[in-house]
Amino acid sequence: MILDFMRNDHRMCDHLYAEAENMLLIKESEKALTLFEKFSITTLHHFDMEEKELFITFEKRTGMMGGPTQMMRYEHQQLRSLIESMRLALRENRTDDFFGIGESFMIMLQQHNMKEEQMLYPMIDRALGSDARLMVQTLQEMVP
Amino acid sequence: MFKGLSLDQAPPISVVLRFFFSAAIFGMALSVLTILYPIHILTLADPFSLAALHLLFLGVISMSMIGSLFQMQSVLGGHPIPSPLGNSFIIHVLLSIGIVTLAGAFITQLAPLFVLSATLLGSAIVYTVFLILPLLFKSSLHNTLRGMRIALISFFITAILGIVMANAYAQGNFSEHHITIRSIHYSFALIGWIGALIIAVSFQVVEMFYVTSPYSDWCKRNVFRLIPAALALKALWLFLNLPYIWIFDLLLGGLLMGFFATTLRRLRERKRRVSDVSIMFWYSGMFLLFVSLIAYGSYLWFEHEAILTIALIAYALFALSIILGMMGKIVPFLVWFHLSSAGYLDTPIMSHIIPVKQIKALFLLFILTSLSAGIAVYYPPILRITGIFSFFMFAFLGYNLISALKLYRYTLTHSQRFEQL
Repeated sequence: MILDFMRNDHRMCDHLYAEAENMLLIKESEKALTLFEKFSITTLHHFDMEEKELFITFEKRTGMMGGPTQMMRYEHQQLRSLIESMRLALRENRTDDFFGIGESFMIMLQQHNMKEEQMLYPMIDRALGSDARLMVQTLQEMVP
Repeated sequence: MFKGLSLDQAPPISVVLRFFFSAAIFGMALSVLTILYPIHILTLADPFSLAALHLLFLGVISMSMIGSLFQMQSVLGGHPIPSPLGNSFIIHVLLSIGIVTLAGAFITQLAPLFVLSATLLGSAIVYTVFLILPLLFKSSLHNTLRGMRIALISFFITAILGIVMANAYAQGNFSEHHITIRSIHYSFALIGWIGALIIAVSFQVVEMFYVTSPYSDWCKRNVFRLIPAALALKALWLFLNLPYIWIFDLLLGGLLMGFFATTLRRLRERKRRVSDVSIMFWYSGMFLLFVSLIAYGSYLWFEHEAILTIALIAYALFALSIILGMMGKIVPFLVWFHLSSAGYLDTPIMSHIIPVKQIKALFLLFILTSLSAGIAVYYPPILRITGIFSFFMFAFLGYNLISALKLYRYTLTHSQRFEQL
């Protein structure tokens, strides 16, 4: 339940990033910036859903306060910083830097996503049990 | 307890790089052998051919794959490999000396070298499997994990059969089952170890890094049921000398062909259109896999030895292509990752760590090596040129790795960290 919902959200973020990158490839800088902002909002919202709802509920259920969720929060911080660096590069028309930072960002993001999808979300699904459906509703109602 | 990759749990950079450097060195040794003895190397079961084969599959391919496992295990397998410095040192030393002695044993036919190489390589592989496999049973099961388990179990079986054969070489006494054991040894090495691991990693990497549609759940679930089943039944059929053994080759070939077709489609329809050398390596890898499968299918029909050689060379180059493509991403990422995690202000971006033109040059050398190797099967003197191309390719790989490491060390000593400000 949680796994499916959050995995789909990961894919949506990936697609938005790819679209922004593709626009920059064909030198459509304005469109690239617009799509990048959309990607940034969606991704940061995804992190918020996790940090403000999902992880807190999971920690309360399991008592695992300093474990996987803490690691994910730490990685979110690094990813936020990379998004900011990319935004700056895009605004200053430093295209090569954007792609260069984007490469590191993409690998880091995908490693992060793999860990969540393969380990953390299944753990959360097990911990929440039948309440997982309610959690998905709560997450859907959160406003970016 | 969850122990997925945190920034603190990524293995030290030296852990992964020592395996990659060694792969480049063994690649150069293989190239020298190819330049010096081209005709011998193209003769199946010739001692020089066997030495070259093991330098390639153990020295280059398995060495790189074990190095990658140290990096990927915490991400894909869920639990990092414990004591990575110590464990990688033990595995790397045993494996390296084992490969040198095995190649030496084939060339010199000295019995003690066969015994020594079997002991060292057997220890290295069994140690690797016993180190990583239990970690894969601690995590919640997913398809990539299933593939990694099959790969490691196959690697273990390959090693055990290798020890049995090395013992036969040492004693100069080959049992009636020798050819059967050799066939099973090759099948588990090529399909079970190399094939399954590449497929398992592809299921994650292709979809996520290039933003493609996902592989079908049916494929992901069943490929790792069918591969071990087909390999086990093929081994049984071989031992019992039963008819219609080609059915299992057909099944394995069909699975790999399915992997080729679905991966190619995903790469062509990928959403990320950024021009990336790793994509070129993936395309060339898929093309070589296709050539290998067609050649092997033709060999089953025509039983022409040259076609079998093409199948084997193309399969090795398929694996090498994927490995080189992934190395071009893993190494710059690791350098960037370790420096930025430690808070160095002047951490170079990935494209400055190994510049794109250097990775493109490596790709060009790979293509020249592959093309000349294909021609050499029918015109053996060309293999010397293949050896020269591959020597430069592996030397250039080593150069890329050294320049990345130099930049890493330079940043460590010359850049300020956040906490120093």
